[in-house]
Amino acid sequence: MSQLLEIRDLRVSMGAQPILEGVSLDVPEGGIVTVLGSNGVGKTTLMRAISGIYKVTGGDIRLDGKPINGLRSDEIVRLGICQAPEGRQIFSNMTVLENLKLGAGPRTGRAYEEDLERIVGLFPRLQERFTQKAGSLSGGEQQMLCVGRALMGRPRLLLMDEPSLGLAPKLVRQIFDLVAAIREAGTAILLVEQNAKAALRVADQAYVMESGRIVLQGPAAELAEDPRIRAAYLGGHVH
Amino acid sequence: MGAHFRGFSMFDAFFVQQLVNGFSVGLVYALIAIGFTLIFGVLNVVNFAHGEVYMVGAYAGVVLITAFAPPLIAVVLFVMAVGAVAGFGLERLAFKPFRRFQDEASLKSKAMREATLLSSLAVSIVVREIVEKLFGGAMRPVPFEAQLTEPIQVGDLSFSTGQFVIFGAAVAMFAGLQFLLYRTRIGLSIRAVANNPLGAKYVGINTDRTIIATFVVGSVMGAVAGILVALYYGSVFPHMGFAPGVKAFVAMVMGGLSSIPGAVICAIFLGLSEAVATEFLAQGWSELIAYGFLLLTLIFFPTGLFGGARDRV
Ligand SMILES: Nc1ncnc2c1ncn2[C@@H]1O[C@H](COP(=O)(O)OP(=O)(O)O)[C@@H](O)[C@H]1O
Ligand SMILES: [Mg+2]
Repeated sequence: MSQLLEIRDLRVSMGAQPILEGVSLDVPEGGIVTVLGSNGVGKTTLMRAISGIYKVTGGDIRLDGKPINGLRSDEIVRLGICQAPEGRQIFSNMTVLENLKLGAGPRTGRAYEEDLERIVGLFPRLQERFTQKAGSLSGGEQQMLCVGRALMGRPRLLLMDEPSLGLAPKLVRQIFDLVAAIREAGTAILLVEQNAKAALRVADQAYVMESGRIVLQGPAAELAEDPRIRAAYLGGHVH
Repeated sequence: MGAHFRGFSMFDAFFVQQLVNGFSVGLVYALIAIGFTLIFGVLNVVNFAHGEVYMVGAYAGVVLITAFAPPLIAVVLFVMAVGAVAGFGLERLAFKPFRRFQDEASLKSKAMREATLLSSLAVSIVVREIVEKLFGGAMRPVPFEAQLTEPIQVGDLSFSTGQFVIFGAAVAMFAGLQFLLYRTRIGLSIRAVANNPLGAKYVGINTDRTIIATFVVGSVMGAVAGILVALYYGSVFPHMGFAPGVKAFVAMVMGGLSSIPGAVICAIFLGLSEAVATEFLAQGWSELIAYGFLLLTLIFFPTGLFGGARDRV
């Protein structure tokens, strides 16, 4: 498979403080790649750097082999990288429909209607809530809206930052089913998760981050068996 | 029977006339408050230079009228262009430089936001000084032919053309802005940035451009308000933006800080209250009304008179 996204030796600093200290990873066309790691190791920083929200201080981010670091966040969305960010970042004072419309960017008319129909197919609950303020939705519905909004941008690569955070177990299962369904539809996914077990089950490739660096990588199925992973992220049970 | 009520009805007409005048003054405040509140809603900072945009719009219009005496519509279009340039320049100069930081400490820091209070205040002082150097500090009368002071008698009440023009302008600006915000793409983007600037980046909105657009729209409105009010009152002076700017600020706070309809209603309420107050208070005391309202609002209704729904823009 050809690489859709290639990251090489990525460095991000906040002021004098280095946050990412040389991260390299690949997302193949149509693949699911997960990044695991405890709180505060730099996963969200990585996602924000890819989306052009944080400035990159070194290294390379390439889409289809073309460098994209230094582009503005809106240019990156236009190239087909959309994100369902940590904390959802939905427009709480605006209606559900307006949120989805904003996700669609400049597309209007037929193309927009089709996308909307597709998203509503994935999340029937959202249609019932079209005219409600997004802030009035339940946590699970807000997460659906967040993912739906990102999908409205017709991404080639969807970045998902802890989509299962704070959701009830039943909803968590739904989110991971959704991840698989989105990939089936041809979108590659880079998934950041605390729920390592579920993430490793759905992903092809996995990376483990510690304090701004990748410390372990490999096929998800192999990492799921790795004793170091089991000890640190899967609760330490050896079945 | 007519004779019996004559005295009363004369008082009545006088009182109604006061209300009409107060309503007009309130509309002047509203014209300024609309642009002011729009910019506050998006950036969550007070643009202290809005009163100077209003003043610059008035001077630009008067200069054009003095030179060419064009029809009112041409004056308004010219002033709109001046307002657009002023808004663009103001944003680049006083606001953009403080948006380049991305670390959490700066994003959350109050000092960072308050810095733009000072930078916009600085711009406003410099602009006022420049206008004072160029045109002098004294009141400059608007060429008489251009003044909107033609009296119009309706029964016992007397209006002036300026009152109708200002009423029309206020309705047009309010309706135009609602249309822009709720029916156009750029309006959708403006509301999105007002609601959640980070979220706006994630959906691919060019937030910088959206903020510029907001300043341009808000400043166009401020500048047009300036020239119309100048034509209505018949004069311009370098400090003309200050007092109505303060009133617009009070209306914005009373209206809940980022609600344009709220600010408009409170602006009119403020104008009416001042007019009624002149009935009962000695000259000069009516100036206290605005500050009194501001204090009462901040103490008893910290989220504005219309409740806590902080519905930005
Ligand atoms: N905007 C920022 N300003 C300053 N420090 C930041 C910023 N964003 C993240 N950090 C710091 O970078 C480190 C990694 O944060 P983050 O990427 O959010 O980790 P994770 O998503 O893995 O929990 C943390 O120590 C955090 O405090
Ligand atoms: Mg995170």
